[in-house]
Amino acid sequence: MSEHTPTTNTSTTNTTSDSEYKRPRPLKRRNVLDRGSRFGPNMTPMVDVTLVILIFFMASATIAGPEWFLRAQLPAKEDPDAIASDFALPTPMLSAELYLQDNEPDQIMVRGLGSAPRTLESVVEQIRSMDESAAAGLVLGIRSTDEVPYWAVVKLHDAGASVSMRVAIR
Amino acid sequence: MRARSIISTEGSGARINVTPMIDVVMVLIVFYLLVGQLAIDRKAAIALPSSSTGITQTQDQDPIIIGINIEGALTINGQSIAGDRFAGEITGMHTRSPSTPMRVRAHRDAPYGVVRPIMHQLREAGVSQVELMTEQGS
Repeated sequence: MSEHTPTTNTSTTNTTSDSEYKRPRPLKRRNVLDRGSRFGPNMTPMVDVTLVILIFFMASATIAGPEWFLRAQLPAKEDPDAIASDFALPTPMLSAELYLQDNEPDQIMVRGLGSAPRTLESVVEQIRSMDESAAAGLVLGIRSTDEVPYWAVVKLHDAGASVSMRVAIR
Repeated sequence: MRARSIISTEGSGARINVTPMIDVVMVLIVFYLLVGQLAIDRKAAIALPSSSTGITQTQDQDPIIIGINIEGALTINGQSIAGDRFAGEITGMHTRSPSTPMRVRAHRDAPYGVVRPIMHQLREAGVSQVELMTEQGS
């Protein structure tokens, strides 16, 4: 009689409980991929593809950034009539020239609008306060000296566009 | 318990499960596309001026994008081009497709003396209207 056979021992000694000698059942390894342990469709490929698409759109949105554009006309001549116009009559033009006062980068001035040169900020403010219905029929012609930064030209352009002026860059 | 293998022996013949391979390949393609795009953007290094108004409408045609960095180096559709070749190139492109919009991406701090010759050359090429790219802001 072998002492390694619990069934024999159990049968011979009635005082010992069955559970004491029962061979422990081997733990069943849980495998999520096991066909028996899951139900429903396999979600893994769908989750993979969804994550890839999510990352792609997040990254492309970051790269593209919130950009837009301003339209500017490039008149061939200084003559306002050269600007494409929907009107039969010549389009009234406001002419503005940007320059740096005393070559100071933070002193951007505008001459041509009004009797005396003024700062870019005050001109922008004045243009933005114009009545849009009146301004819409105007063309704002912008010139600039070489040392003026490009953003200043765009800022003046932006002010004109905000009241529906057409803008020409010279 | 039956072990799962990448080689399925179910059915009449052995088949390889290609789903993980396609997943990994897709991830790699997207990764290299993005890295390449970022590298181009970094090379251009153009910080746009901001504007409170603008147009975001999409065009039927892809625009020709002219990049001008702070030192005046030029690109056309992301490709660097020498200043002396710019006029000929842009004239050819405009002649072939006059309705294609021209977009200018110039660095916000570039002096206008760098931008003006480009505008002049566009005008000489017959371009009557350009689109100045800006960032949305105040």
